[in-house]
Amino acid sequence: MHALVLENISKTFAQTRAVTGLSATVPKGIIQGFLGPNGAGKTTSLRMVMNILRPDSGRVLVFGQPLTSHIRSQIGYMPEERGLYPKMTVQNFLMYVGSIKGMTHRAAGAAIGEWLEKMGLGHCLKKRVEELSRGMQQKVQLISTVINHPALVILDEPFQGLDPLNLDLVQNLIREMRDDGATLILSTHMMDLAERLCDTFIVVNRGQIALNGTIDTLRSTFKMDSIVLEADGDLGFLASVAGVATVSGAGRGVEICLEEGGDPQAVLKAALERVRVKRFEIRVPSLHEIFVRRVGGEDA
Amino acid sequence: MLKIWHVAKRELRETAKTKFFLFSFFFTPLLIFGIMALTRFTTEKAVNGPRPPKTIAVVDLSGELQADLERAFAEHNALHPDRPIHVEAMNELDVDSADAAVERVKADVRADRCDGALVVGQTVTGGSGESVFYLKTRSMGDVEFVNVVKSLHQDAVVNFRFRAHHLSADLVETLSRTAPVTPVDVTAENEQRGAQMGRIFVPFFFVFLMFMGIFGTSQGMLTSVIEEKNSRVVEVLLSAMDPFQLMAGKILGLAALGFAVMCAWGSLAFVAAAYNQMGDLLTASGVGYFLVYFVLGFLLFSSLFAAVGAMCNSVKEAQTMMMPLMIVVIVPLMLWPYIANFPNGKVAVLLSFLPMTSPMIMILRIASVPELSRFQILASIAVLVASIPVLMWFAAKIFRTGILMYGKPPSFGEIWRWMRIG
Repeated sequence: MHALVLENISKTFAQTRAVTGLSATVPKGIIQGFLGPNGAGKTTSLRMVMNILRPDSGRVLVFGQPLTSHIRSQIGYMPEERGLYPKMTVQNFLMYVGSIKGMTHRAAGAAIGEWLEKMGLGHCLKKRVEELSRGMQQKVQLISTVINHPALVILDEPFQGLDPLNLDLVQNLIREMRDDGATLILSTHMMDLAERLCDTFIVVNRGQIALNGTIDTLRSTFKMDSIVLEADGDLGFLASVAGVATVSGAGRGVEICLEEGGDPQAVLKAALERVRVKRFEIRVPSLHEIFVRRVGGEDA
Repeated sequence: MLKIWHVAKRELRETAKTKFFLFSFFFTPLLIFGIMALTRFTTEKAVNGPRPPKTIAVVDLSGELQADLERAFAEHNALHPDRPIHVEAMNELDVDSADAAVERVKADVRADRCDGALVVGQTVTGGSGESVFYLKTRSMGDVEFVNVVKSLHQDAVVNFRFRAHHLSADLVETLSRTAPVTPVDVTAENEQRGAQMGRIFVPFFFVFLMFMGIFGTSQGMLTSVIEEKNSRVVEVLLSAMDPFQLMAGKILGLAALGFAVMCAWGSLAFVAAAYNQMGDLLTASGVGYFLVYFVLGFLLFSSLFAAVGAMCNSVKEAQTMMMPLMIVVIVPLMLWPYIANFPNGKVAVLLSFLPMTSPMIMILRIASVPELSRFQILASIAVLVASIPVLMWFAAKIFRTGILMYGKPPSFGEIWRWMRIG
């Protein structure tokens, strides 16, 4: 059974089609990247998962069931926009969130102490939310999302406002939750971080799925069409090697783009015959590059 | 249900801690009693306290009243040495120059050379025509000034007429002496002398208390919803509960708070009424009806306020949207003297069955007529009870959609669409 199934969901606001027939599945126990440019329909999709917005058509299944009050209590949702009561103390706010998520007073109290210590906020228990820094507020928000150890955690831009130390802290926390069996859906614009953290990716653009799969699957859809070569000697001959499209750079280091079907091994062989090769690297496109090429290409 | 309870608890606790609430709770009764005491004190001072001397010019076109007027004013000044009115007579008045004399005294009044000018009509002593008093009205004190002048003018004219019929001044005084009547209200356990004004104002006090209770607390709903919307915490809440649960919890929490406030203010009013020997006005059934109408009125209006709050991004925006609602609400306050006079009139009965006006109109009628038809009371409660879920249902639809909408407030067309499909 999947943690989440989206079946052909659509949502239109006035004249704007925010999400169009989006279908996807999220297996249990993974960190699922949910990426896309601004206005792609990510937040609308996540709000539909939480039933904050109702889909115009299609359906959402969480752990194989439509969203009920019981299922809702197994989901932790951290929205993109931070939502805290500035005048409440950290303790009262977390107690309140714990209670509306169905925790008993005692269980919520114990969880608050545990989470605050874990996040380095043990001294903030009695402080008002408005007295905390942005990063601290972000961590309180995260605690409020996971206070009841939900089985499905949806995090929309969870790294905003965090310094490098806290960034590591939150990444470790996310991995820890995954290792404990939770499923996490992570929406972020920080591509390098997502690449390191997520097991699979869904890229949404213009309300539809543009890419879906693991990083290797995504890479396989984009040809390994770039080679970095450094050598002693003139590399001018490379332009005439079969399968080479372009050679950029000059002197001892160049970047070679191959034609469709071009073989990197043929380039290496040709180079070894002429010069002493010091570096030969088949460049793997990063998630960032894949995202820019795919989304940028569609938007162009 | 448990979630509604938790939301209600938070709403009650956090609202009770706000400075605005604490200020309203403690200072509203002080303010009301303070204003009442101050008004009473200043009115007393204005009517009976010392006042600077006034001077008036008299133009006697009848040529007969001068002496009587001067005597009447002299007697007044002897009785009220701290509020005298001096008379400057224009003697040797030439009939041809009457108009000029009137113009001259009017100019004197305009130039502040005197405080007023009394022009006695040519035929006023004979029983026809009229006299005119020219003055510049500046304050409430001038009303009393005019009344004194009118009264002394009347005394002078009457004296003149009696004398013309050869009746002695002493006999006139004896015959026309006032026979006083003191109103004594027997509704209180102890008979009360001169408590009429207090009793007349009691129904208004109830309406005012209801207005303050419902709208003061509903205002809390409005600001709370806008605050949650602006701080975006609403999305966190809606990920854990339905919009209806959130709205219901907020309404319940604030209703409990408002109920507690009403009980506290009501107790204070009871003490004040008992102190003034008007405890009989606060009957158990009257207080019971008041609390029932308060709760129903609050449920009705707080739903509307929650919907308006969800549609707006700021209190300022909300105030503009509230304007039509407030006009409907202020109607009972404007009509209170009329309804209090005709508590069983057509207007009163009609407004008793309109959900928006019913709570305040009914409490005004119950306070004005203790033996008001029980059928009408129960019918109006039934109308309110029936209309609240309908209104809440529509409000919840608006709340659900509006609470996640930012930017410019929705048009009426959009609100209608939300109500249909939200």
